[in-house]
Amino acid sequence: MNHLSDEQLIEHYFGEDTHRVVAETHLRVCSRCERAYEEISSTLEVQPPEPPAREPRYGEQVWQSIQGQLMPYPAKPQRSRFSMPRLVLACFCLLGLVAAFLGGTLWERSRTRPTEARNSQRAKERVVLFILDDHLERSERLLVELHHADAEKEDPDQSLQTEARQLLPDNRLYRQALATREDPIMNAALDHLERVLLEVANSPDKLNSADVARIEREMNTDSLLFQIRVLRARASRQQPIVESSRKGASI
Amino acid sequence: MGNDDHALIRAVLAGHKDAYGVLVARHGESIFRVAFRITESESDAEEIVQETFLRGYRGLAEFDARADFRTWIYRIAVNCALQVLNKRRSEAVVPIGEEFDDSRPGVQLADAGAGPDRLLLDREIEYRRHAAMEKMTQDERLAFVLRHLEGRSTEEIAVALAVTPNNAKQAVFRAVQKMRRSLAPLWVKS
Repeated sequence: MNHLSDEQLIEHYFGEDTHRVVAETHLRVCSRCERAYEEISSTLEVQPPEPPAREPRYGEQVWQSIQGQLMPYPAKPQRSRFSMPRLVLACFCLLGLVAAFLGGTLWERSRTRPTEARNSQRAKERVVLFILDDHLERSERLLVELHHADAEKEDPDQSLQTEARQLLPDNRLYRQALATREDPIMNAALDHLERVLLEVANSPDKLNSADVARIEREMNTDSLLFQIRVLRARASRQQPIVESSRKGASI
Repeated sequence: MGNDDHALIRAVLAGHKDAYGVLVARHGESIFRVAFRITESESDAEEIVQETFLRGYRGLAEFDARADFRTWIYRIAVNCALQVLNKRRSEAVVPIGEEFDDSRPGVQLADAGAGPDRLLLDREIEYRRHAAMEKMTQDERLAFVLRHLEGRSTEEIAVALAVTPNNAKQAVFRAVQKMRRSLAPLWVKS
């Protein structure tokens, strides 16, 4: 049986023990601990003399005896919440905040503009290359079909003209849009392509093999096909470069 | 002016000295009781009450508005009582003896209806109780008085003594053991 320590018995007496029921149960069955607890209780039941009673106005008497030694606390002056020094300080703080905000905005703008411009330019180039590549691919297919038709002496499909008519306005837009760029090869190729497309699109309703041969001969479509393939190869090389430079700029 | 302690304190700090008189009247008697229980001397207790309220007034500007004034002034009283005990011990006015000394001045238990044996036993109990109190360290004595006679919790004692709750509990434990050892022969005798 684990007996209760003196400390536990004292805690039990003051009602501070955490396992009160366990202690009470143990004290009922353990005579040794019960005797120790009785001794502690007897000890603590010995009371010192009670403090002598004070007069009902005791506190006031104490105050009377000490108040002569006390100086009143100085009354705090009532300061206006918006006194002049505070107002001036507030104005300075406000001006400082405004200056910091404007300075920060200008600095941020000067820092981000070139980057934004560069990013914007690169994004535009990427879009142009992507769309142009699609246009050049379709044009290349058309020229290849023209070439096959001429080689096999067959009348080309009606769809060839339809495709040329669709490509023609697009090509005009690209040519005009890219005219300002310092890219003579591209400009020349698009100009050449437009004339070919115009010829195919404006031919009589049914384009025959003779027409195709004439166009190939007069318009030198083989040379144009080569130019377009060169441009497509260049575009496919530039795209990864633009992509990697974009990633570098964003880091 | 409001009636609660904090409103009175604000009034005092605003220059109304008399508001402090209300606080003294309100808490004076309880401070006297605790001072008496610690020192077991009426004159010392009176002195402690005055010193406590003087110190309280001078330190009122540092009083934390979130705190309880009663606890705060109580702690000042305990410190004042400690100083009185220190002074008394350094002067060693009353010698401490293990044996019963009939000539020793002290508070006697008055029981006019008791027989001579009972009166003698009561005197011996009181003497031994007082001797045990004198043997306690200051912390033990304060912890014992606050726990046993004032019914304060361990946490309150810890705050008053500026110790941890565990140290406060140990101080109470040691004090009870000293009291127990001092009174034990009487239980055997009776």
